[in-house]
Amino acid sequence: MKRTSLESGLLIGCLSLFFIVLGVTSLTGSLVQDWFKLSSPILGGWLLLFLMTFWGGTLAFKKSPSKSWSETLRTGLSVGLVAGIMLALTIWGLGTLNAQAVPIREWLVQLTPAAIAMLTMGRAPVVAALLMFVVMLLAGIGGAAWAYAALHYQWRSVLNTRWLSARESVINMSLVQKYQQHQYSKQIAYGVGALVLLTAPLYLGRYWNYTLGTVGLYVILGLGLNVVVGMAGLLDLGYVAFFAIGSYTMALLTAPQPHDIVMSFWLALPIGVLLAACAGVLLGIPVLRMRGDYLAIVTLGFGEIIRILSKSDVLTDFSGGPRGVRAVGGPMLFGLNLNNEFYFMYFIILGIIIVAYATHQLQRSRVGRAWMAIREDEDVAEAMGINTLKYKLLAFAMGSGFAGFSGALFASRNKFTGPEDFTLLVSINVLSLVIIGGMGSIPGVIVGALVLKGLPEMLRQLDDYRMLAFGGLLVIMMILRPEGLIPSSRRKMELHDDESEALVPDVLVEGGEV
Amino acid sequence: MAMLELENVHTYYGNIHALKGLSISVDEGEIVTLIGGNGAGKSTTLRTISALQRPRIGKIVFEGEDVTTAPPPEIVRKGIVHVPEGRRIFGRLSVQENLEMGAFTREDKQEIIESMEHVFQLFPRLEERRKQTGGTLSGGEQQMLAVGRALMAKPRLLLMDEPSMGLAPILVEEIFNIIREINQQGVTILLVEQNAHMALSIANRGYVLETGQIQLAGLATELAASSVVREAYLGGG
Repeated sequence: MKRTSLESGLLIGCLSLFFIVLGVTSLTGSLVQDWFKLSSPILGGWLLLFLMTFWGGTLAFKKSPSKSWSETLRTGLSVGLVAGIMLALTIWGLGTLNAQAVPIREWLVQLTPAAIAMLTMGRAPVVAALLMFVVMLLAGIGGAAWAYAALHYQWRSVLNTRWLSARESVINMSLVQKYQQHQYSKQIAYGVGALVLLTAPLYLGRYWNYTLGTVGLYVILGLGLNVVVGMAGLLDLGYVAFFAIGSYTMALLTAPQPHDIVMSFWLALPIGVLLAACAGVLLGIPVLRMRGDYLAIVTLGFGEIIRILSKSDVLTDFSGGPRGVRAVGGPMLFGLNLNNEFYFMYFIILGIIIVAYATHQLQRSRVGRAWMAIREDEDVAEAMGINTLKYKLLAFAMGSGFAGFSGALFASRNKFTGPEDFTLLVSINVLSLVIIGGMGSIPGVIVGALVLKGLPEMLRQLDDYRMLAFGGLLVIMMILRPEGLIPSSRRKMELHDDESEALVPDVLVEGGEV
Repeated sequence: MAMLELENVHTYYGNIHALKGLSISVDEGEIVTLIGGNGAGKSTTLRTISALQRPRIGKIVFEGEDVTTAPPPEIVRKGIVHVPEGRRIFGRLSVQENLEMGAFTREDKQEIIESMEHVFQLFPRLEERRKQTGGTLSGGEQQMLAVGRALMAKPRLLLMDEPSMGLAPILVEEIFNIIREINQQGVTILLVEQNAHMALSIANRGYVLETGQIQLAGLATELAASSVVREAYLGGG
């Protein structure tokens, strides 16, 4: 038995135990049950544990690839043995304690009697433990064998070449080729895209229009923060404050309570954007003299101040206090009331297009270059004659304005706004989606919002685990794809320097240094 | 009249009195060098001239105009350009983008293109590396890029902070040749250097700085011969 195999088994065993204690296995069980309409969650939970050990088997094999089947078998066996013993003991222990009515939940919240019943399959603990042991042995061996087969039979590369040749033949098909050669091919693609986008709200239905509308509002927020963080390099952790300002402006100006102004949506919207932008400048003037960490801390504080103010009892008469503002007005056009998810979807799509276009143009302009210089090296930017404070303020104002825009739409669509909509988590979410999408990249922000706001919505059951998933996703992302899902070409260049450097012959590099 | 004149300049970093009544002058077409040990205030002098640091007392006059309170962009527009210590190129931008950044204060696109061609003439290697990111250049190339970037602003007075820092001797020689060449093309140069030997060999005049004050001033040849400089900065004898 190799040490590495035993270690892999131990690692997988610990991870599996961790999953059991955190309730990930029960969750997987119930998800699988829901999706496939099964009668019990047992299959899903056991499947997860099986796959874990299976993975452990492939892992162990990769650490020390064996040359023969028998050696591979031993590798898998060791992994299965270690993981199997750990899990079998756990199941036996939990099952026994549960049978004696020991209140395990008091210490480990996720280990409900139902969760334990899932692990023991409702059988006697000893039987379940033995079964688990056997299953884990099989999983470990299976994993190692899988890895062995993959290595020695090259089926992956065979599949890969088949896929490539299939793709080629499709491209070579006259129709596709004709389309690509067509002079309007790009326009047609855009046209189809636009058509899909414009008709999407028609068949999405209420729920999806609302959900994707929220994603869209986050896209606008993300595009705004992308200007501040991605382009100008200013870490703003209190971004939610500007979202709140836009939101409250819309709410207070159009709702009958507490002020009875009941202004038109169309008037309140630009006011909200303007106020948010002004707030950005006002905060920016003192704060933007600070750099890096200090800026992050001060903006973080500002975000909290705005939320706490909106919640405060003293301001209840002004801003509605903890109960928020109800009956926020919606848009009317030609006497038509457009105040529902469906029409808002169009506003949001339009908003995204405007904001994306504006930021795209800015990025390529003189202003964009100034931001880039400031992000790279503020001192030098100043020495190059760039008025750094001015451009930083501009970035702040733009970002804040977009956040205000998103906030105003948000309050109007929900017909309500309150302090709980503006927690620190919003700032963190927006920052995460910018990072996950790829800093400085506009399509990245859109994909990031879909992943971070859309995915949890699709996996409603995961709700409690959203933060766990966030964290996990961020960590994995930063390891595997530090430049984000759809990085701007620049960042890709930066973070994979080792690859680009390899393109330069060593002789040249050496010659330069001597 | 001198092109640049500093009169009794006092600069502080918080409570630290970095420049204590500095008065220097640079004539048009000269190479003037500031030499001195660590912390003598050489870099601070350059930072004060390019308005990255404000003098608390004193006056800076450039071509007859008081520029003591002018902000950095205006200083650059007037033709004073700073090549910062340690090169400080934009490592993640390409060579070309770095150069374009140098021309930020200029509007005329045609003139900018001409300037870039001029820089490529001076540094053919930069043209070869045009698309490469600054960070992947060698130390010598980075220094060339830093100088080239400053030239993109069309300087009349170039402030150079330690251009020889961290470079192999052969490259130091090359950089100093280029400094001389730039000077011959009509750019006045104020050069800060630790390498006093090299600096005095190309300069017309020099100042020796010590703890924020001028210790000694004179022609470069005189300074190179003076016992104070020889002992302190030229390695004895």
